[in-house]
Amino acid sequence: MPIYERGYTNWEPSAGRARPAWWVIAKRGIAEPLKKRWLLVLLLAAWVPAIVKAAMIYVKLKAGDIADLLGGGWTSIDPAGFLAFMDGQRFFVFVLLAIVGAGLIASDRRDNGLSLYFSRPLGLASYVGGKSLIIMFYYFMVTLAPVYALCLFAYVIAPEATGLELLFLTPLRATLYCTLVGASLSLVLLAFSSLGKRSIFVMVWWAIMVMGTETIGAIAEGLGQDSVQAVNFLGQYHNAGTVIFGAEPRLAVNPLVSCLILVAWTVGAILILRKQIRPVEVVS
Amino acid sequence: MSNLNFAYARDPVLKGVEFTLEKRAIGLLGPNGSGKTTLLRCLLGQVPLASGEVSVLGWDMASKARIARAGLGWMPETGGIIPNMSGVGVVAYMGELSGMPARDAMQRAHEVLHYVGLADERYRMCDKYSQGMKQRLKLAQALVHDPDWLFLDEPTSGLDPRGRVAILELIGDLARNKGMGVILSTHLLADVESVCEEIIVLRDGQLMAQERVDAGNREPRQVFEVEGFGDEEAFRQGLSALGAKVVDDKRLMLVTLDLTKIVGAAHEGGFETSAGVKAILGVAAQNDFALRRVRRRPVTLAEEFYRMVEA
Repeated sequence: MPIYERGYTNWEPSAGRARPAWWVIAKRGIAEPLKKRWLLVLLLAAWVPAIVKAAMIYVKLKAGDIADLLGGGWTSIDPAGFLAFMDGQRFFVFVLLAIVGAGLIASDRRDNGLSLYFSRPLGLASYVGGKSLIIMFYYFMVTLAPVYALCLFAYVIAPEATGLELLFLTPLRATLYCTLVGASLSLVLLAFSSLGKRSIFVMVWWAIMVMGTETIGAIAEGLGQDSVQAVNFLGQYHNAGTVIFGAEPRLAVNPLVSCLILVAWTVGAILILRKQIRPVEVVS
Repeated sequence: MSNLNFAYARDPVLKGVEFTLEKRAIGLLGPNGSGKTTLLRCLLGQVPLASGEVSVLGWDMASKARIARAGLGWMPETGGIIPNMSGVGVVAYMGELSGMPARDAMQRAHEVLHYVGLADERYRMCDKYSQGMKQRLKLAQALVHDPDWLFLDEPTSGLDPRGRVAILELIGDLARNKGMGVILSTHLLADVESVCEEIIVLRDGQLMAQERVDAGNREPRQVFEVEGFGDEEAFRQGLSALGAKVVDDKRLMLVTLDLTKIVGAAHEGGFETSAGVKAILGVAAQNDFALRRVRRRPVTLAEEFYRMVEA
């Protein structure tokens, strides 16, 4: 009997497996931006530095140190070089995360979507976890994925010169670093998103957070006020990452202090999310 | 639900609300700000209670709300549409979030969208839907996982008369023919009257009444419309002897009978209206008064509601 003649029928579950709610949220949230062509272009553009670095690595491994004359740190295939590469991606991280993440909770608040989500069998952790994964996916796409690709590329073209360090340890370090940074960044961005109902305002706050603090940090560095560099938000991630990659800090801030600052940001973000994400808007 | 208390900040919204509901269509009535939506949110386990207990489908909503919500469907009054998705996408997404496998959710989304009359519009972006279509979509997403209970907050809000009738027909069908429990929160009494069997009335966060929609017809004091000719004076005296109160309403006499005083009128669960009619017929026969009309004046839900709310 055709559907339209059957009226309402009860659901008879099939043998298929239901996915956890965080997976469902993440899957939908990751797929949604990929429908936009300009976002795909931006993602491709974010890989241009990786392609350039790959070319440099190729020249270095094939032509020796002469390639250093071309690109300096670009040819580096030691762990610190990859940390520097990921730090260099911060413009794409900033733009891409702003586009993808700003509206993740703000639009749900604006459209009373939270009420719908929390009428389903899911809790705060699933909701935030799913949304975080969306941001982390795009963060990985412009940082971790290029590092994996570069490590593999370098190993393939010159396995004897690169060794297992490049095949296992560097990807492992990058995975640990990107997972911690991605989780922290996503929670902070989600906290911003939960504070507003319009993506544009969230983007402005995110820009102030990233670009503004970096500018303040740079001015402070110029003035010799090293301690003020602790306000540089994205810079702290790189600084903290030097612990994992064994590299020299970019900022004049102790890496452990950077770690503490980032923990404070992340805990603050979690507290904001706990307060802001609720199915009922209390109107005073 | 027992001794339920809830407050936003320090502003108490629900005060000592207590009831038990069976699976049927139930109207949740009350003036604006009486706590209807908050009560539904308590039933969904969406708000932390100040005190009291809420148990839905056997689950304590303070600790097991997530499990219970798998069996509940929620249609909010405002918003409730996820933008940048097609109608079928929203419904399938909600199905998956309710614990359905992806394929089941998509198949079921098509079915419920057919059921609510959105089959032809299911691939359109839901942000572009009209108000009536959005209401239907919200009903579809509430139905997708085949819940035991459906909580509807002002489902006919913003609909034209035809759309309103269509939504009410769907809700009535779900409650009467599909065995689904429905709580319909609204301030439109006609909506409740056309769909619900039972009403809950809230005022200032307190439960004023919980009774069947036709409860007014089982009250001991019933009003009859009487019209006739003959010895009217004697007829009136005869009615007074029965303990009836007679009021003129244009050419009709409105006879209020206390059925507790009529022999054989009381029975288990209420009063026999026909006993009142028989008593009036008897008085008319004794007093040579020819009756043209005797009929029970139905008590409207509106009358009942205002009686309860204004009490």
